[in-house]
Amino acid sequence: MNLNIFLMNGHGFYVWSSFLLTTLACLFLFLKTRKSLKKLEKEFIKEAKTLTNKEFEDIKKQKVVKAILLSYSKN
Amino acid sequence: MFKFLNPSYVFHLTGKILNFVKIFILPISIIGIIFALFVSPRDYIQGESVRIMYVHVPSAWISLLCFASISFLCILNFLFKIKSASLIYKSLAPIGLVFNFIAIFTGSLWGKPTWGTWWVWDARLTSMLVLMFFYIIFILSYKFIKDDSKALKICTSISVLGLINLIIIKYSVHWWSTLHQQPSINLSGETTVHYSMLIPLSIMLCAFLLYSALIFLMKYRIETIRVKRKRLKKL
Repeated sequence: MNLNIFLMNGHGFYVWSSFLLTTLACLFLFLKTRKSLKKLEKEFIKEAKTLTNKEFEDIKKQKVVKAILLSYSKN
Repeated sequence: MFKFLNPSYVFHLTGKILNFVKIFILPISIIGIIFALFVSPRDYIQGESVRIMYVHVPSAWISLLCFASISFLCILNFLFKIKSASLIYKSLAPIGLVFNFIAIFTGSLWGKPTWGTWWVWDARLTSMLVLMFFYIIFILSYKFIKDDSKALKICTSISVLGLINLIIIKYSVHWWSTLHQQPSINLSGETTVHYSMLIPLSIMLCAFLLYSALIFLMKYRIETIRVKRKRLKKL
C-alpha cells in the first residue's frame, strides 16, 4: 500500500485535518438541524392535537400545516 | 418576486427541493473529495498542502455570500417590513457561521506549512475573524431579544456594519500588504488557476452549495414551524 497517499510528502496532517474538520463541522450542523426539525414537528403535532376538533380541522386546511403533518407521518 | 417571500409558498417548495438536494448531495461530495484529494495535481511551490484550497476557498465564498444575503434581507425587512425575510436570514446565519469557522480553521491549517505560522494578524485573516464575531452577535441578537422590532433594528445595524467588513475583506489584500495572497480567481478578470485545479474546486463548490441548500431548507422549515406554533398558542 502506498503510504504517501496519507503522508502527502509531510503535508498529510494538515490536509487530512482540514477535510476531517470540515466533515465534522458539516455533520454537526446537519445532525443538530435535523434533530431540532423533528423535535419541533413532534411538538407542533402534539399541541395541535390538544385543539378542539373544529379548530384542528381548520388549521389542517393551511398548506404549511398540511406539509408538517405529511412530513411527520413519513418519519 | 414577493411570491418567493410568501412562507406558505416557500414551505411547500422546500419539501420538493429537499428531496432533489438529498439525491445529488452525496454523489457530488464523494466525486469532489476524490478529485480534491487524489486526482488533482499538487502545486509546484506549495506541494500537497494546496489540497486544503478545495475546502478553504468554497467555505470562505459561502460565508461571505451568506452574510451579504443576510444584510440585503435585513435592509429589505427594515425598509419594507417584509417579515418573511426574517425567516430566510435566520435560516442563513448558522450556515454562514459554520462556513466562516471552517474557512478560518482550514486557513490556519494551510498557513502553517505555507507561511510557517498558524496565525498572523494580517488584514484578511483579522477581517474574517471579525466576520465570525458579527455572525455570533447577529445570531445571539435574534435569539435572545424578545421584542421583534427591537431585534430587527439591532440585527439590521449589525448586518450593515458587517457589510462594511465584507468590503474590507474583499479589498484587504489590495489595500494592505498581507501574507494572504491576492485572489487567483476573478469573475471579471484573469483567472490564474489551472483548469486541472479549477474543476475539483468547482465540484467542491457545488457540493458545499448543495449542503448549504439542504441546511437552509431544513432551517427554513424550523423557523416556519416556530411561527405557526406561536399562532397555535394564541388560539
